[in-house]
Amino acid sequence: MNIEQIQQQVLQAKPLQIIGNNSQLNTHFANTLNMSVYSGIVGYQSEELVMTVKAGTTIAYIENILAQSDQVLPFAVENKQSTTIGGAYAIGSPELRDAVLGVKVIDGKGRILNFGGKVMKNVAGYDVSRLLVGSKGQLVAVCEISFRVLPKAYAIPSSTRASIEPSQSEAKQQIKQNLKNVFDPNGIFI
Amino acid sequence: MQITQDLLQALPKHIVIHGDEMTRPFECDGLSMYRQKPLAVVLAENIDQIKTVIELCKIHNTPIVTRGAGTGLAGGALPLENSVVLGLSKLNKIKAVDPEARTAVVEPGVRNIAISEAVAQHNLYYAPDPSSQIACTIGGNVAENSGGVHCLKYGLTVHNVISINMLTIDGEEVTLHRDDDGIGLLALMNGSEGLLGIITEVTVKLTPKPERVQLVMAGFDDVRVCADTVSNIIKAGIIPAGLEMMDQFAIGAAEDFTHAGYPRDAKALLLCELDGDEQSVEQELTKLLALFSTASTVKVATTEQERLTLWQGRKSAFPSVGRLSPDYYCMDGTIPRHYLADVLEKITHFSAHYKLRVANVFHAGDGNLHPLILYDASVDGDIEKAEALGTEILKLCVDVGGSITGEHGVGIEKLNAMCHQFTADELDVFHQIKDAFDYSGLLNPGKAIPTLHRCAELGSMHVHNNELPHPELERF
Repeated sequence: MNIEQIQQQVLQAKPLQIIGNNSQLNTHFANTLNMSVYSGIVGYQSEELVMTVKAGTTIAYIENILAQSDQVLPFAVENKQSTTIGGAYAIGSPELRDAVLGVKVIDGKGRILNFGGKVMKNVAGYDVSRLLVGSKGQLVAVCEISFRVLPKAYAIPSSTRASIEPSQSEAKQQIKQNLKNVFDPNGIFI
Repeated sequence: MQITQDLLQALPKHIVIHGDEMTRPFECDGLSMYRQKPLAVVLAENIDQIKTVIELCKIHNTPIVTRGAGTGLAGGALPLENSVVLGLSKLNKIKAVDPEARTAVVEPGVRNIAISEAVAQHNLYYAPDPSSQIACTIGGNVAENSGGVHCLKYGLTVHNVISINMLTIDGEEVTLHRDDDGIGLLALMNGSEGLLGIITEVTVKLTPKPERVQLVMAGFDDVRVCADTVSNIIKAGIIPAGLEMMDQFAIGAAEDFTHAGYPRDAKALLLCELDGDEQSVEQELTKLLALFSTASTVKVATTEQERLTLWQGRKSAFPSVGRLSPDYYCMDGTIPRHYLADVLEKITHFSAHYKLRVANVFHAGDGNLHPLILYDASVDGDIEKAEALGTEILKLCVDVGGSITGEHGVGIEKLNAMCHQFTADELDVFHQIKDAFDYSGLLNPGKAIPTLHRCAELGSMHVHNNELPHPELERF
């Protein structure tokens, strides 16, 4: 599967539920966009401390590659064998968001877009690659993700905790709704 | 102007600055080549006054340019014609410090260094350290997602902010938290350059001071060997607290100015600082010294005084170079580290081609270049030449997979360069994000994101990676 084939599915403009290996959610929609078949390492050089992978790559696979260079992921993910990096990104965590450097996505209009990059420091344009962490597959189809990795000696003790929503306000909900309309104006991603 | 009259009527007189002479100190920020006086400046003392400014500016359809200390280097706080500048420097209270949780709640006008000073008694500090840290404000740091020397190990502003309170264009207060469920609105606000909302409170993460800090300086006879050593340090599993590189021109200028003890004959120099507990620093130091076997000079700072003297040369590098030229232009591109040597070589070629000297002093560890282009504004055509040379450097950064700005922001300065880094569709998304927050378009309009029209005029719309400039550079 290549990115154009994913784009074609989006352009058919029927509501789609994006899934990886289906490890986190129970999907019950007939129309799914299965990203688990879009997998593999796009780029990795240990001295850059940066890896770029396709969304369907499993966490276990990534960790295995990193281990060969004595490096680790700076965020914790459960069910590593089945969870894909795209799935982990869609669910999101503060640590995963910290590690993200860039993404290649397809928006609801079927446009292939790149945000962020493959370097540690980058303040050109809004930080869309970190914004979309936690978007639950409802704003864009995430195709490729670049993220920071760490030498083993700097491994952060793993912690999983529940997200909180300390302050829910109408204004905040409105901003979120507006952003949904920016990325997926026709409501393709459900 | 009516807006000024209305501001004077609604707010205490002493916080509203107006008139040609009085607004002059606000006509530019750290990028002084662009100047524009605003209609008025309001130095707000509380949130209600900010709300009043927003309300009146909406009624009069007047743009609002939010400003901290005005130290930004990209013109983010440059006033617009017919705008009101909203200065937040008076909101400078540290509201709470929690040494157990390692957090501090501060108003947006608190200076970066003031946070570290206030929490020093708890053996804590605020890690991001932009070079303007004695003056720049935390609100400005969030707006620009500021970096500094210690980013490589401790992250950018976005990694050190736990929550913010902001006002929307409708004057609504919104709290954004790191642990919020769903999308990362807090991350989005970092680096949004005053286009999306007005930050009224910031909760920052504090970092424990390390047990030991060890600086090592190494001089190299060859730039490429020096650049390769940077990669080798990371490859060896070391993440230095700071890893700075200077070229021969910068070494000489800094040595003349500060007498830091740098090797003048070296072609390139590294300053590598390790920090952490005693044992880990000692282990890393052993590894580091082995990696420095290719260096011509190695100096391990043995006293705190020696460490500070060695840093002094680096920290004074910009003014040191500034002494050698009437004007200089500071760039801020980032590149993947393994292109360091290639890109530095290219910059040398560009420098010869444009007949302008370039000094390189930069954060090598995270591939953040700060080439200083020396020029003389009084010489006809020199500014244009400096800008053309700068544009070539930024394009090169994008072409090898980097970015036009690592930590200074886009502001007004890098609008053209944005056209090279992003496609029309991507810029379209950025404009829509602004609309999603600010339908009125009154918050710092025209900054950070170029119009599609501007990019089309420029004729430098980004071409995707299927067409690679500089094919001679090896790519992985």
